[in-house]
Amino acid sequence: MTKPRVGIFGLTGCAGDQLVILNCEDELLQLVELLDIRSFMMASSDSDESCELDIALVEGAVVTEHDEKVLRAVRERSGLLVALGTCAAWGGVAGVKPLRSYVAVDAVITGCPIEKEEFLSAIANLLNGQLPVAAAYPVCAECKMRENECLLLARGAFCCGPVTAAGCAARCPSVGVACIGCRGPARDANFAGARALYTQLGFPDNDIQTRLNSFAAGVA
Amino acid sequence: MTRRIVIEELARVEGHGGIQVDMEGDAVASVHFDVFEGARLLETLLNGRHYLDVAPTISRICAICSTAHLVTSLKTTEAAFGVQVSEQTEVLRELLFRGENIESHALHLFLLAAPDYLGYPSAPAMAREFPEIVKLGLELKQLGNRVQEVIGGRAIHPTTPVLGGFAALPDSAQLIELRDRVARALERVPELLEFVGQLPPEHGCSAETVFAALAPEQYGYSRTADVTFKGQQRTEGFEPSDYRTFTNEMVVAHSNARHSLFENAPFLVGALARLTVNEALLDADALAVLERVKLLLPSGDPLDNNKAQAVELVLDLQWCLVTLERLLSEGLRPEAPAFIVPRAGTATVITEAPRGLLVHSYSYNEDYRIASADVITPTAMNAASIERHFQLGVAQSPDKTDAVLTRRLEMIARAYDPCISCSVHLVRLNDNAG
Repeated sequence: MTKPRVGIFGLTGCAGDQLVILNCEDELLQLVELLDIRSFMMASSDSDESCELDIALVEGAVVTEHDEKVLRAVRERSGLLVALGTCAAWGGVAGVKPLRSYVAVDAVITGCPIEKEEFLSAIANLLNGQLPVAAAYPVCAECKMRENECLLLARGAFCCGPVTAAGCAARCPSVGVACIGCRGPARDANFAGARALYTQLGFPDNDIQTRLNSFAAGVA
Repeated sequence: MTRRIVIEELARVEGHGGIQVDMEGDAVASVHFDVFEGARLLETLLNGRHYLDVAPTISRICAICSTAHLVTSLKTTEAAFGVQVSEQTEVLRELLFRGENIESHALHLFLLAAPDYLGYPSAPAMAREFPEIVKLGLELKQLGNRVQEVIGGRAIHPTTPVLGGFAALPDSAQLIELRDRVARALERVPELLEFVGQLPPEHGCSAETVFAALAPEQYGYSRTADVTFKGQQRTEGFEPSDYRTFTNEMVVAHSNARHSLFENAPFLVGALARLTVNEALLDADALAVLERVKLLLPSGDPLDNNKAQAVELVLDLQWCLVTLERLLSEGLRPEAPAFIVPRAGTATVITEAPRGLLVHSYSYNEDYRIASADVITPTAMNAASIERHFQLGVAQSPDKTDAVLTRRLEMIARAYDPCISCSVHLVRLNDNAG
């Protein structure tokens, strides 16, 4: 099997998703064997910034003209472009535009930060010539599977679980902390229904609006 | 004859920055540390936000120091509301800071800085010849993450720390696992010290340097304390609420980061500053560790920050072991977070993030929403000092060829362990946000 040529790039952002990759301490040296990593500025000073790539993993968002130039150049030289993290996928907490409003994006690994397991299984998919698959259901589904008490209905906390993309195993609600929507919207999220529910529970409109859009400006 | 040395994009650092030095013959004409990471504007996003939303939003400034941002934000809101947290919460928060410090220092020291000393472009390249050292670095880094996962629920952007304390506490099985791992890591300290002690001697520059760090009663990162500035001539203390007197942040044209000055001179924050300011707190064992890595305080060479990080790695592992033993023998009290009664108020809290002093300052209005927020990060405070050390590093280099100067500049920059995403949290063109 020829190793895919991979580039890992960061636009403006916190570099947390690249840090998740570096946090795969048990797998890191193996990853380096399976992938032909040509560019990873955060970890190496011998990055090749012009070669063709099979896969580009791009974290962060476009804030400067330089970011846009880098993104377009990466798109040009890459077979597949994968948006890494909520900033790349949805614009993130800074409220800017997602990568797909600039270039074609082939796949998305969302999360703030991305989940290590999701990242590793996405890499396994890519190594097998398949695109990574994201969960089609919201955080609530995973929360129910873990048999957690509902923070929204039972405790009246503002939980974004009903409209947020799953894949984190309901990480926050499982420790009693309401979901803040850090993974961006679930597919087919019912924002109208959620809004009606939050209003019924007594939350003011401005909080509802801000919280539903905190990690993905303009989605709700 | 004029020539320009340009490092377009600095590798093996967090974020995007470059270096540009103009030379007139062998003299330095100008030095720029260019930060071209985009402005993040996160403080502005806080305006009008409900108090519950503040910490999880502002902690997104940074991933590597998300724990420091998160806990400092919680502490600032608690201080504005007059909330006292339990001693257990204070201890668990300090454990989180120690975990973050271990992770951050191990990542920087072994994977980002060490390859320069040994002549490799990256840690994986270095691993071909020094597999055990790279594995040791990865193990320590993972342990630092594990501390944050057990205590905070997640390594990057922890989930359990909330206003007033912790939403969930670890069980004793998790604490035992953690203690055992810390104990095993401590067995490898001699290897760590030998590696750092035997790195080829390198020299960044020598400069009279002002150091700034929290001066707590015991060495640590998260407890409330005054800030001490220690220079060649004098030492001066500041209360957190006076932070503006020493961080007269100014916007510089070539950079999206804000620069800080103390009485119009740059100062250095981070591991080297903490050890220098708090040298009197170090016991004989700690001083022996300094000796093993050949660190003499005070040091005017920024590259010694790498050695200082090695010393802190050892101090942090030792503190974690003692603390985990104590938590296991006394048992964690199952306690709910302190009750929060929000109110209008203003507070400033300063902690020690891995890279140095971190300031959060908030004002809340009568609706318990943010009226104004100010965050000053360690790399922003260090930016002026980094440029000064670039200049001296070039001026003092006996060999002024491009290759030698480039390597020296990169090593000075990396020794600061700059966190560039953090430093560009806001560009304020005129100071009207207060």
